[in-house]
Amino acid sequence: MKKQRSIAESILKFLASLKLAVIVIIAVGVISAWGTIVEARYNSEVATKIVYHSIYMIVIMSLLVINLIAVIVDRYPWKKHHLGFILAHIGIIILLIGSVVTQKMGVDGSLAIGVGQTGRHIQVPTTDVVVWASYNGDSFVKLAEQEVDFFLNPPSEEKPFVVPLPDSELKFIDYIPFAFEERKTIATEEKTDGPALRFQLQNDRVNVSEWLRMKTVDDAPSILNLGPAKIVLNRGNYKPSGDNEIVLMPSKNGKSLQYAIHSKRKELKTKKGQISSGQTIETGWMGLKFRVLKYLPHAKEDSNFVALERPTEVTRAAVKVAFNDEIHWFGLGSVVRFFSDKAAYVLRYGNRQIDIGFPMKLLNFEVGRYQGTSRAASYASDVEVPGVGEVNISMNEPLKHKGYTFYQASFQEDETGKPTVSVFSVNKDPGRFLKYLGSALIVLGSIVMFYFRRILINLYKGRKKS
Amino acid sequence: MIINAKKIFFGLLSVVLLMTSVPASAIDTSSVQAIPMQDAGRYKPYDSFARETLLLLYGKRKYNKRPAHEIVFTWFLLPEAWAKKEIIQLKQIQLKESLKLAKEESYFSPHELMTNDRLPLLFQELDAKQQAKEKLDPYYQSIQRLSSQLSLFRAVTSGMVFTFVPPKEGTKWLSVGDADFPKALIPKFQTMTSKFIHALGMGLQEVGAEKEAKIEAELKQAVEEFTVAARAQNPELYPSLQDISVEVFYNRLDPFQWSWILYLIAAIFLGVAWYTGGKRTNQAAWVFVVVGFLMHILGFALRVYIAGRPPVSNMYETVIWVSFGGMLFAMIIEAVYRQKFVLFCGAIGSVFCLVLASMAPGILDASIQPLEPVLVSNFWLLVHVMTITISYSAFLLAFVLGDIGLGMAIINEGKFRKQISNISNAIYRSMQIGVVLLAAGTILGGIWADYSWGRFWGWDPKETWALIALLGYLAVLHGRLSGWLRDFGVCASAVVAFSLVIMAWYGVNFVLGAGLHSYGFGGGGVQYVSGFVGIHVVYVIYAIVARQKNKGKSISAQ
Repeated sequence: MKKQRSIAESILKFLASLKLAVIVIIAVGVISAWGTIVEARYNSEVATKIVYHSIYMIVIMSLLVINLIAVIVDRYPWKKHHLGFILAHIGIIILLIGSVVTQKMGVDGSLAIGVGQTGRHIQVPTTDVVVWASYNGDSFVKLAEQEVDFFLNPPSEEKPFVVPLPDSELKFIDYIPFAFEERKTIATEEKTDGPALRFQLQNDRVNVSEWLRMKTVDDAPSILNLGPAKIVLNRGNYKPSGDNEIVLMPSKNGKSLQYAIHSKRKELKTKKGQISSGQTIETGWMGLKFRVLKYLPHAKEDSNFVALERPTEVTRAAVKVAFNDEIHWFGLGSVVRFFSDKAAYVLRYGNRQIDIGFPMKLLNFEVGRYQGTSRAASYASDVEVPGVGEVNISMNEPLKHKGYTFYQASFQEDETGKPTVSVFSVNKDPGRFLKYLGSALIVLGSIVMFYFRRILINLYKGRKKS
Repeated sequence: MIINAKKIFFGLLSVVLLMTSVPASAIDTSSVQAIPMQDAGRYKPYDSFARETLLLLYGKRKYNKRPAHEIVFTWFLLPEAWAKKEIIQLKQIQLKESLKLAKEESYFSPHELMTNDRLPLLFQELDAKQQAKEKLDPYYQSIQRLSSQLSLFRAVTSGMVFTFVPPKEGTKWLSVGDADFPKALIPKFQTMTSKFIHALGMGLQEVGAEKEAKIEAELKQAVEEFTVAARAQNPELYPSLQDISVEVFYNRLDPFQWSWILYLIAAIFLGVAWYTGGKRTNQAAWVFVVVGFLMHILGFALRVYIAGRPPVSNMYETVIWVSFGGMLFAMIIEAVYRQKFVLFCGAIGSVFCLVLASMAPGILDASIQPLEPVLVSNFWLLVHVMTITISYSAFLLAFVLGDIGLGMAIINEGKFRKQISNISNAIYRSMQIGVVLLAAGTILGGIWADYSWGRFWGWDPKETWALIALLGYLAVLHGRLSGWLRDFGVCASAVVAFSLVIMAWYGVNFVLGAGLHSYGFGGGGVQYVSGFVGIHVVYVIYAIVARQKNKGKSISAQ
């Protein structure tokens, strides 16, 4: 009996020991440092997945909590001079509980609304695969909805992620975490595909090369406005706009290419002729030379995903899906259709959308700039929410409504610098109170521990003596 | 072009040529310093702009002992002559190699660089990287710097940067190079220019005090007439001359330089007092410390007045702030314990920081810049940054104390046992201050993030490293409590743990931020900082080894 107790006691002693504390503290520091390195290499989502929410972190954090509880129990019966120590250590435990509550029950998403538009679905980091089916081509029923984390559990040929369908199955057979979607214009045999042209415009100071493409042969003219000059690809008649323009006209059968150079200055005559790939013509403007790099009578745009080592702002995840004999690559956030003899299927692989339960309309968005520059100094959104009315959301001035808090996060602007979309960070945090309480206790406890301990001890001694 | 070539003073060419060889001028041209202008999103005196410009291009505060406000304006007046002068600083070896420039040179002429046929290619590569939003390594950072140096030089020579006149409508000020620069102001600007050139030209000759005063007065008059006319264009947009002159005063005074000189003198006195125990020397040291500290406060006050916000928004400002805190904590601990060496170590630490701030202008940017939107008018941001960075002051003090303690242990641990124990106690006190402030600051950072973004803790690298530093010091404090660390151990860990502060403070921005593959290249001083950390690690290891040896000796002697 006695021996057993001493084992229990020695376990408690070990769990409550300062040495364990030092080891745990250093371990948390080392893992966090590793996380920041991963974050610098990749991004914060990757670091969160493979470090901050990893099993190592969970184990070490649990050990920390056990150590904290054990050390408090070990000091029982508590004396007055323990006050600071107990407050600070309980504070850490409460803070950690608060963060678990946030992680498990909180919502942290974003909401992008265009000016004049309404949004009610926030996007969260969790990814889902959803499949709908239609048997009559009209109404769709949801067949499957499943949360997936392909980053941690990537599907492969050997271990595919399978969604069973009534007459077949959808198989996810490959995954690229950081895929860059490369768009290419390629030649086709399809007679209805429109023509495409790659040109170069060059002088001493300018060097531009671009693609122009018409989607179909009957499509509207494809126009690229380069400011001082326009390049136009067109079939049929084109009425010059009066600016500097180079108009390229494929012949009826598409085999040859005619050009016409219209100038703003009336005294310059319109220059016309035939041009083929590799040929150069003088435009007569500022020494600019126009060259046809490639001409395709029928073309389409094709995209393929290139795997990059690291994420950038333009990469996203991509998956390879097999359905019967078809194989497709598509990126996160895509919606694709598959057809079998009996049914049409719609597959969506993307971030989860959460309905916040009320619509929010973006009435207006304003950007304040620092004087004489294009640097943003402030930005604010005017939104309308039923039951609240018109509200202004700005940096550091969020809107709180029905448990959600809407923060002004960023905005998107068009080429002219006019803001078009306002992005809010939307958040629901049931652990907030615990985190604030824990924080307050930690700070209070440390101050008491370091600066008032002596006073407390003296008080205690003084009382004893008297 | 509003400068009529014929009206330019006849001696201009010779002035410029002479300026590169004759350093000193007797005539004071400083009245042009206070011409208000609009630059980088705020109003500033022309003096600040000229200083920032010369520093960016030339990397030094003066050119041939000539002040920036004289040099930069002559670039505009005589671009052809300056284009051939070596005024562009370029240090990155790899970039010099790519451009086929002489590797041992650090200064090149704008002409030489602009006509380099490899440069457009490099700029294209840089552009591609920037469009893909990639992180730039030091090589591309130096291309970026070169690109901004050259475009700034071009903007100066074209006059586009001299935004001296407020617009009648809108907010963007009109520059001397603008086509719509008000016609009525042209003669006034020309008069001012010619007076300025006259002053420069005459300053090279012996003209006598009376004439000098007359020339200075004429220039001052011309500047005044120009600024009065410029204000009349749109008085509402024109800043108050008092604000502008405060900034000129701040530029000229350079208060932080005075602080470190005074602290250095104090440190010498304290060193002597510590050694000899002289009471008078100690009192004298306190006088220097207090005056230096007042200068430090004055510098802060001026910067707050100019920027309209507390000065903790970039690396330069935090270095100044940390040295301030270091001195403050040293004074407090010294006043309580009266050990002399605490104040000595505080002074050493502060001098080190302040010298760093003034010697590395390329890395620590001293210019006053407007804030990012999320940082504007944010109480929590301010409080948390100030709290975290001032905790670094306490750790800096502990670090210097630790260095001294280790030194004593290496020399003779037995003899200095008492002193080392005192130092260890002082380290413990500073670490306590630091830990409480850092814990509070990290938590305040959480409150700030929660308030601004709705996220209490988002594993942001800056905050995470602040936490790691906190954990490091907590480990030291618990290690001391558990008896693992004694006096020597506390000294050693104060030195080692400061590496975590350096990482949180500098490393996150300059190493992690620039991409991990940039180790060893430098460009932001990475090589110096890692050298500094490395030397201290070696120092600690040496101290441990030396101590073991000494112990062995004393045991065998017994």
